[in-house]
Amino acid sequence: MPIKNKTYIRKKIVITFFLFIAVFLVLIGRLAYLMIGRSEYYMEAAKELHERERSIKAARGRIVDATGAILADNRTVCTISVIHSQITNPQEVTRVLARELGMTEEEVRARVEKYTAIERIKSNVDKATGDRIRSYDLDGVKVDEDYKRYYPYDTLASKVLGFTGGDNQGIIGLEVIYEEYLKGKEGRILTVTDARGMEIEEAGENRIEPLNGNDVHVSLDINIQSYATQLALQAMETKEADSVSILVMNPKNGKILAMVNVPEFNLNQPYTLPEGSITPTTQEEKQNALNQMWRNSCINDTYEPGSTFKIITAAAGLEEKVVSLTDRFSCPGYIMVEDRKIRCHKVGGHGGEDFVQGTMNSCNPVFITVGMRLGVDRYYEYFKRFGLMNKTGVDLPGEAGTIMHKKENIKAVELATISFGQSFQITPVQLATTVSSIINGGTRVTPHFGVKVVNSEGETIKTLEYPMEENIVSEETSEKMRYMLEQVVENGSGINGYVEGYRVGGKTATSQTLPRGSGRYISSFLGFAPADDPQVLAIAIINNPQGVYYGGQIAAPIVRQLFENILPYLERMTYNT
Amino acid sequence: MAVGSTRQQKKRKPERYFDYSFLFIILFLLGFGLVMIYSSSSYDAFKDHDGDSAYYLKKQFVATLLGLVLMAVAAIIPYQIWKKFTVLAYIGSIMLLFLVRVPGLGYTANGATRWIRIFGITFQPAEVAKLGIIICLANLISRMGRGIQTVKGFLFIFLLPFPMFLAIWQVTENLSSAIIVYGIGFIMLFVASPQYKVFMGIAATGSVLAVGLVFIITKIASQSDNFRFDRVMAWLNPEAYPKDEGFQVLQSLYAIGSGGILGKGLGRSIQKLGFLPESQNDMIFSIICEELGLFGGISIILMFVLLLWRCMVIANNAPDLFGALLVVGVMGHIAIQVILNIAVVTNTMPNTGISLPFISYGGTSVLFLLIEMGIVMSVSLRIKLKDL
Repeated sequence: MPIKNKTYIRKKIVITFFLFIAVFLVLIGRLAYLMIGRSEYYMEAAKELHERERSIKAARGRIVDATGAILADNRTVCTISVIHSQITNPQEVTRVLARELGMTEEEVRARVEKYTAIERIKSNVDKATGDRIRSYDLDGVKVDEDYKRYYPYDTLASKVLGFTGGDNQGIIGLEVIYEEYLKGKEGRILTVTDARGMEIEEAGENRIEPLNGNDVHVSLDINIQSYATQLALQAMETKEADSVSILVMNPKNGKILAMVNVPEFNLNQPYTLPEGSITPTTQEEKQNALNQMWRNSCINDTYEPGSTFKIITAAAGLEEKVVSLTDRFSCPGYIMVEDRKIRCHKVGGHGGEDFVQGTMNSCNPVFITVGMRLGVDRYYEYFKRFGLMNKTGVDLPGEAGTIMHKKENIKAVELATISFGQSFQITPVQLATTVSSIINGGTRVTPHFGVKVVNSEGETIKTLEYPMEENIVSEETSEKMRYMLEQVVENGSGINGYVEGYRVGGKTATSQTLPRGSGRYISSFLGFAPADDPQVLAIAIINNPQGVYYGGQIAAPIVRQLFENILPYLERMTYNT
Repeated sequence: MAVGSTRQQKKRKPERYFDYSFLFIILFLLGFGLVMIYSSSSYDAFKDHDGDSAYYLKKQFVATLLGLVLMAVAAIIPYQIWKKFTVLAYIGSIMLLFLVRVPGLGYTANGATRWIRIFGITFQPAEVAKLGIIICLANLISRMGRGIQTVKGFLFIFLLPFPMFLAIWQVTENLSSAIIVYGIGFIMLFVASPQYKVFMGIAATGSVLAVGLVFIITKIASQSDNFRFDRVMAWLNPEAYPKDEGFQVLQSLYAIGSGGILGKGLGRSIQKLGFLPESQNDMIFSIICEELGLFGGISIILMFVLLLWRCMVIANNAPDLFGALLVVGVMGHIAIQVILNIAVVTNTMPNTGISLPFISYGGTSVLFLLIEMGIVMSVSLRIKLKDL
């Protein structure tokens, strides 16, 4: 009986076929959804599974000083690894690597014979050794180059330069501030691998070249910095001080030539605490100790400036014409402010004196009188006008702000103490900058290190510029200030800052640290030269000296010695003009 | 009577019908399959067989050649001869399944004992059973005549594949082949029976049960740490089981998805490089999609549709009911296996090992498929052209 006659069976066969077609259409739909709609998602996921990414580190830009010395550099180091499946002669590989890397053959053999995709034998191998190993051209041995930050002068300007972390990123100092220029861009090698991690050659590799970082040129002068460091270390040792800071800058444009904070630390071992310090027990303790070690006192810490601040009071008084150089004063050894008796440092009093002599004597009653003549409103106004309420804008991270009374809280007694530099706190860099602005003819400068950014081809890609504010005091006042401060050094309390053959101006300070009566002092001296046309300004601050603690006796000699050496040097240098 | 009329035709040497497109489609799928087996297996072969990247290709090639010879034989001999094997096909298939458990004969691979090894030749009795059930049911149904329309006849055919289903599932631990065998029987019953409502009822009940079961399993699995339902859970969200149950299907989706519309190009699959397990076997369709894209995937589906279409034409013109049912069984076998395979690799259903006919690596499978093709050809050869 032919199938033809059974019509329902034929119909059923056709129905079956079309049922299958319907299911196939559903599957095609599903397939289209996966391969069009979800394609991107799965492609990404598959890529992540297949591609091995190796980064090529970019060389970080260098930090170059004013003389062209390289303060922060890169050293090429090599990582030696073996790829097990590619080794053809394991004996030879073991022998060569053991000899070149100074390891025992057993050590190397264990790694060569280990079945892994890639096994590291040794990292941080110097480039010469790496090149030698490469020259053997051994199958399965890989020499990868890498950059490591390197500071040729170890401790020099450590707190200024800063250092970098594991990802070559700046941690403190200039390394942080100029990160964007220094960093460069990492390159990448993308290779496709099979499930065992072997590279698939025909897939090729996708290589993105690294972009090296740019060099940052700074105003720091390695010679001045080195010499200042020596002086600071000497002072710290002889005076058994906690720390000594020296800041040298050009008062005309704010370029910082040296910034010393001893004790410095070794930039190539930034995580090693100084010898003799207590071994920290907790991670937190260690971090605190490190942070303390890394602190840059010139900008991170505030202090009561003491008598050096009388420069500001004098400038404000002269500018406001509440005092003139010839005004007469009388110092009985104290002054009454409301019901409080504020003593002069000379118990017997300075007797009769004019304003210039009062400044030379650093006489407290004279400056309290000037402060009183100005009054709270005007004094506060000058405080602000001189830029003391703002940060200086120095190109280092973590600058501390001024700690000052609120204006409504300043009464007569507070005004009196502010007049001679007490009861408020500023940073050393703030003092140096403000005095620079007063003696340079009245231009508020921005203290800075960064001068220009130069790319790896040696082209200057950016000249760094800093804001300046003119006429914060008149040229006339500025000239009077230079004259008075020169007198302080020539004949007054700053006599120890005098340098034979040069006109030096300056001011001493000795301030007791809080709490009063602790017996801890900060002595400082601020000097500049030449007095009639200042080219360089230096401030030396000795923290907690033992024995004699007067700024005029211990800090002024530091600046004198510094000037004796750097003034002739600076005259020869053309970059500073 | 049917036999007699065919013999008369033969004597008069009439113009014989031969379905060339049917043969061409088979040859195309076989050739394409060999190319894809080489593409997907050369990496594994090189790694596991001493650098012989054509290891799997060679084995499959030999099986394919042998299969083509057997196909020719099956095509030449009159298909009526299979009627004589009805009982043997049924009993023999089941006995072969049990031989898997005989020590010395059973052969274990990939953690499952599904093969028999005699004189160094391994084969999978479940593949024999698929042919067995087709022959057995075709003969029984055609002999029954109107008997299929009775409840008793219907139930008999409905229940007959069950013992085989259980044997494949339980003895050889191969649920997917068991489902295929039962599916073949079900489709043959559907065609043979004039009923519609009953089948719609069965389909509806089946769907409701399946949905309900999945629902219950998700409930249970979310409330307990029962690992038995992980396969279903991994199906619903393979990315939550990326290491174990969902691993293979996830890798399959990576392969399919990353193929895009035009694919990465022949031989350019990366998933076959050790990422996708069984890439030359159950998962070969994923590699096809990765290398040849949506375009290649749909093309292969269309080839199978064409094959089914030729089967339909041959079945509809078969000289007798037995021949028609043989072809329907083969058609069902191929359709079910292709559908389930693609459904698995696209994660449309839970993962279970089902190979893609003609294309996946597997000697027994291609051998018996080609015998089935020979039988279909044998049916087609006996179509009287004037009947068309």
